Amino acid sequence: MNVGMISLAFVAMLAMMLVGMPIATSMAVIGIVGGIAAYGTPFLDSIAPVVWGVQNENLLTSIPLFVLLGELLLRSGIADRMYVALSAWLGRMPGGLLHTNIGSCALFAATSGSSVATAATIGTVALPSLQKRGYPMRASLGSLAAGGTLGILIPPSVNMIVYGSLTNNSIGKLFIAGIIPGLLLTGCFMLWIYISNVASGNPIREPAVPMAERIRTLSYLIAPLVVFGIVMGSLYFGIATATESAALGVMAALFFVWQSGKFTWEVMRTCFISTARVSGMILLIITAAFILNLAISLTGVAEAMTKWVAGLGLSATGLILALIVFYLILGMFMDVLSMQVATIPITYPIATALGVDPIWFGIFIVLMCELGLITPPVGMNLFVVHGIRPDKGGIEDAIWGALPYAIIMILFTLLLMAVPALVTWLPAHM
Amino acid sequence: MARHGRTGPGAEVNTALNDNLVAGAASAAKPAVSTKDHIESALATVFGLIFVGLACLVTVETISRKVFNVSLQGADELGGYALAVGSTIAFSLALMGRNHIRVDVFHELLPKKVQSFMNWFAIVSLAAFSVFISVVAFKVIADTLQYRSTAQTPWATPLIWPQGVWYAGLVIFALVACGYALRATGLLLTGRTDVLNRDFHPKSAKEELKEELDDLAQRQAVEQGAKP
Amino acid sequence: QDRIKMKAIGQPLATGLIQKNKEQPFFENFAAKTGLPIDVDYKPIDTLGVKDTEQLRVMKAGLFDIVSLRVSQNSRDEPTILGLDLVGASPDYATGKKVAKAYFDTIDARLQQQFQVKLLGVWPFGPQILFCKKPITKLADVKGMKVRVYDQNLAKFIELVGGTPVPVSFADTHQSLSLGVVDCAITGPSSANSAGWPEVTTHQLPIGFQMALNGYAMTLKAWNSLKPDQQAKLKAAFEAQTEEIWKYSEELFQDALNCNAGKDPCTTGKKYKLVNVPVTPADLDLVRSAVSKVSLPAWAEVCDKSNASCSQKWHATVAPVLGLK
Ligand code: NA
Ligand code: NA
Repeated sequence: MNVGMISLAFVAMLAMMLVGMPIATSMAVIGIVGGIAAYGTPFLDSIAPVVWGVQNENLLTSIPLFVLLGELLLRSGIADRMYVALSAWLGRMPGGLLHTNIGSCALFAATSGSSVATAATIGTVALPSLQKRGYPMRASLGSLAAGGTLGILIPPSVNMIVYGSLTNNSIGKLFIAGIIPGLLLTGCFMLWIYISNVASGNPIREPAVPMAERIRTLSYLIAPLVVFGIVMGSLYFGIATATESAALGVMAALFFVWQSGKFTWEVMRTCFISTARVSGMILLIITAAFILNLAISLTGVAEAMTKWVAGLGLSATGLILALIVFYLILGMFMDVLSMQVATIPITYPIATALGVDPIWFGIFIVLMCELGLITPPVGMNLFVVHGIRPDKGGIEDAIWGALPYAIIMILFTLLLMAVPALVTWLPAHM
Repeated sequence: MARHGRTGPGAEVNTALNDNLVAGAASAAKPAVSTKDHIESALATVFGLIFVGLACLVTVETISRKVFNVSLQGADELGGYALAVGSTIAFSLALMGRNHIRVDVFHELLPKKVQSFMNWFAIVSLAAFSVFISVVAFKVIADTLQYRSTAQTPWATPLIWPQGVWYAGLVIFALVACGYALRATGLLLTGRTDVLNRDFHPKSAKEELKEELDDLAQRQAVEQGAKP
Repeated sequence: QDRIKMKAIGQPLATGLIQKNKEQPFFENFAAKTGLPIDVDYKPIDTLGVKDTEQLRVMKAGLFDIVSLRVSQNSRDEPTILGLDLVGASPDYATGKKVAKAYFDTIDARLQQQFQVKLLGVWPFGPQILFCKKPITKLADVKGMKVRVYDQNLAKFIELVGGTPVPVSFADTHQSLSLGVVDCAITGPSSANSAGWPEVTTHQLPIGFQMALNGYAMTLKAWNSLKPDQQAKLKAAFEAQTEEIWKYSEELFQDALNCNAGKDPCTTGKKYKLVNVPVTPADLDLVRSAVSKVSLPAWAEVCDKSNASCSQKWHATVAPVLGLK
């Protein structure tokens, strides 16, 4: 297997995806064709045990459970009320509701495994009031698109589960590792809003909300905080595995749904259909990814690439810098989940061979996915916030609005390279 | 502009508006409930009950292990089976909701003729993939029967039980996919490309956001109704 | 002379020194080790995305020629092979080796018939022993304690002794011990050392609940493609290889026990200060009692369903070695 053939196969796969073949099919086709080319029909007989192995993996059961958890909090209106509470608390800062956007995204992220869901949820709640109060559209769209990406960095995170299952790393450790970077990145986003608003000379602020009113809204935060506490607490203290913590979170969410009087058959069925569709899409891609993975490992692609990269004489730092560029470009054109499953089987062995910490690399991959969500032309979060905006305007507003955050993310990645303990310290103390 | 199928929860609601509570003031007329809606509804119910049931069981297991030191062994085994069965149902539902992701950076730029060919090709390739998986998975079933395989777990479950249900789910997925592929083929052959493009093009962000906004409106309507 | 190419499935990378120092070098220098013109493409199973429970099926599919067979995991599809490693049967190396020798032909015949693979050797990871974070002086002290187990027969045995078995994955055990989710845990001393279990435990009891046996096997297709003199050379090479692993495994076991207890020599691990609880004859009797009370009846029931003569063959071959009737 030489680097030329590997690149050719990779390009062929990308091409199939870009002309509109379903992602899962594109990956499976390359895997099956590659496997048969190398090993003939015995490869076909080996696919079935792999498919059963993936679909029978208790670890991946956490994906539908975490998706269901987010759905329950969203459909029951708990997420909507969260925004009200945070705007009462954060609105006074220079930048006003833009801080609320970031804060609400971070908090919703703590209960949801998906970035797109986070941007869509907070965006639908936030944009009408932002427009009514005359916030600049670019800044509004940018903060929502970027804030939404926190959904996969702040645990729980579907992308971390996928990374963990593809690379045999502990999901619990990955989740815990995401907490400090998640909070720091949230802080960086808010700092940027603060600085850019103060620098503009005419910072936006919301009128002060009476303390009594503020205190009252605190009750709106109970549900998401309790759910997050149960999920992460049970993981951190070793009471539960990732799947068990997801189950505990679902039960807690069901309690809050019942408590808020939304425990109706219609709401539940809406949640079930949504959860099934999203999980089905993710799990079919993962199934295809494992078929591709079988072909990749059998044909020695990872070894060939590792040898090639080693031949370049790159250091670990050099490799990560090169990967930032690689993922930045790839993320412009690809859906991030597909990007992740298509590249990890190759980049993970290369990185670990050069001594990169596996958990750190997981957080790095998640950051690269976040970046991909807000870079044009294919940036899901850009589309989401653009689609929600109440006025008529071009997609370029979302793109320009998100640009500062994309730069912050890259700088933040460099910070994590300089101080890897920001990622590795907390999971080491589990 | 490029669009994908939905990649996360929250953005996706039941397309069958007819089944929504009352979509705010937006929707007045109720379209008829179709067979597809019934099938979707039934599959989603099974799917949901599997995972809510599993969540209950795992919660009881986790608490009893922590608090009472008693482990009802087998919750993790059941979790694996729940995923095996649940994911096959979810494959079908994602297909019916057009959620299997397609990138269409170039799709919108292509001539309508080419677009309809791509839409046809996408569904046919997905159907081929589903049939392929069902065919190779049959070998798993055959081997399990031949070896009388038994899970290496406290329950020593005969593997054919969960694998049998899993296989049935895969076959349903293949049948649904083939049904869609046949319909698309019919539309292509009879030249009804506008219908083909309408029903099989990659789900656009606009469509999804409309659904999402409807759901928000409905939540807020209910909220205001509750607290006038 | 034409070179022959073969593909091998290896132990997972994470399994430690035997995989790293004995297995991988053996396959990577296969031609030199066997004196045959065979080059092996060796892949640890965890790099393949194939679960270890699927090894026999994948072998039968014919994608690979040689497998480093994980016995416990693959007893799902062929329970006969678990007769090698019943809980309580082999508390030490000497017994383990006798069992493996006595049962070898039975498994070989069964694997050839069911999966068209030929058994070429059996070797141990080594005794799976007890670690506790509460003081113990004998095995019976686990009564009332929560014990991490990795398999059902072990769970039943812990219940028999009066403990609460808790299935926890290996990766989560360190944390479970430190938080008191479990009081004791069972694994090999070397794995325990590298996973840092001695940081969160105080005592080790070096009695083997199981030997963690594994095998080497080759497809009949690959085997039959060799000439008789080549087959003889290959067989001899695998015998030498497994013999070497038996020896190495015992050295590692002793070294790891030393490291855990803070004694010398300790060359393969980190030094800790565990109390090494001496094994008494009563402990040995208790562990051995697991065979007739727990693991044999449970296994025989499952095994006889898929292979009618299964337990009868075991009684004829292994029971005499263990002094069972
Ligand atoms: Na999250
Ligand atoms: Na992008």
